[in-house]
Amino acid sequence: MNNQLLSLFQLCDSNFPTGAFSHSFGLESYIQENKVHNQETFFEWLKVYLHEQLVYSDGLASRLVYEALMNDDLQQIWHLDHLLTIQNLPRETREGTQMIGDRMLKLTETIYGLSILSQYREEIKKKNAFGHPAIVFSMVAHGLSVTKQDTILYYLYSAISSQVQNAVRAVPLGQTAGQTISHQFIPELSQAVDRIIELTKDDFGIVSPGIELSQMKHERVNIRIFMS
Amino acid sequence: MTDWTGSLSLELEDRNGKTVAKRVYFQGAFKVMRPIYTDDSGQVCYYLLNPGGGYLDGDRYKMDISADEGSKVTLTTQSATKVYKTPKNYAYQETVIRLKKGSYLEYLPDPLIAYQNAHYKQKTVVHIERGATFLYTDILTPGWSPNGEKFTYDTVQLMTEIYWDGKLGVFDHIKLMPQQQTISGLGFMEGYTHLGSMIAVSEQTEPEYLDELYEAIRSEESDFSFGISHLAIPGFCIRIQANATQTIERIFNQCHTIISKKWNHRPPSSLRKY
Repeated sequence: MNNQLLSLFQLCDSNFPTGAFSHSFGLESYIQENKVHNQETFFEWLKVYLHEQLVYSDGLASRLVYEALMNDDLQQIWHLDHLLTIQNLPRETREGTQMIGDRMLKLTETIYGLSILSQYREEIKKKNAFGHPAIVFSMVAHGLSVTKQDTILYYLYSAISSQVQNAVRAVPLGQTAGQTISHQFIPELSQAVDRIIELTKDDFGIVSPGIELSQMKHERVNIRIFMS
Repeated sequence: MTDWTGSLSLELEDRNGKTVAKRVYFQGAFKVMRPIYTDDSGQVCYYLLNPGGGYLDGDRYKMDISADEGSKVTLTTQSATKVYKTPKNYAYQETVIRLKKGSYLEYLPDPLIAYQNAHYKQKTVVHIERGATFLYTDILTPGWSPNGEKFTYDTVQLMTEIYWDGKLGVFDHIKLMPQQQTISGLGFMEGYTHLGSMIAVSEQTEPEYLDELYEAIRSEESDFSFGISHLAIPGFCIRIQANATQTIERIFNQCHTIISKKWNHRPPSSLRKY
């Protein structure tokens, strides 16, 4: 089990080259409007981003994909891939996420060689699926026999830690501040997992209006560090 | 769910260049007024109305609209949708709209006003064939309470699903629960009180249209925040946060005029109310 966990940790590393570090998912709009400008305001943004967006989209999808994998229900997975992509109304974050998913899939297919990953690639090739990092991640974690709860937890951790790294560069924050935030954020992640376990399919895709607006606004930002 | 408080069904078709109702049916607390033709385009306008004046505890409303090939229709409401307090069961509205190829349908309801302790859920499902054009707007207000306090409602949940050419192309889910969320805060309403959404689906959507709409909205002078983006299917969406219904209406009217001229080569008909 330890080797398998280590194997998944590789995927959680914010240095894993999926291109996630080029996407701020609207954070850059908040930074430019000076609404996120220090450790406290970034922590506030990170909480809303996790509890009001990721939980209902990537987080819930990760759980549902894991459950579908346990039931060998591939149709459900392709359906979730479709839903996850189209519920993302801002074009830039939708296409950005798809690019990250695609790169993550290529890399993980090479590293882990799981057949489900090859099947996912086939579906994308046939234009039956878009590609999404939460789905690739859940497939890998399931393949490595990581539990459902841990799969969701580690996925959220990886998504959040890339944003912390982004904030360190863009706000900017000191490296110590970045690490402090990651550490203080641990209880938030566990709380998010508990919430995701309780959600139903009807909760899927609830958006937080301000976060979504910031993602749309970013498409019109001229000077930028991030692609979204 | 078969026990509807009010239900309405309207089937429209094109008859020699004029859009007419092939079938109209309504029962209970839901009504459609007689058709109005505001110009010689053949486009028909229907006002929907809730004779009860508002949605009450446990009310269930259902609306089915279909637009046949070549028909052109505007659907609107006579006044704001009011949802009163719902102590036992939430009020619910379900709308299904079908657009055949070559049809044009715009659904532009008045704002939603949820009263203190109101819980409202709305599900809108739209099926659009290739070659049809659909325009939708909605405006969420901070609701109403006797002492003027904002966001005293319990829950407002809007789910919109748009199928394009048989496939789900738009999934929009808004659920505001002011008692449980920091509603005015960062990530939510950001200090604003009103939320407007516009969704437009048409194969005639050029990237320049979005630039033009963006510039037009930017020239509006009141205090608001907005975003515009391409959908995953041909079309776009706009979201606006503002402090008054009128601001959002003014912006949407402007966008409606721009887009109508592109799509229909004429300005939209004015919706006279009150």
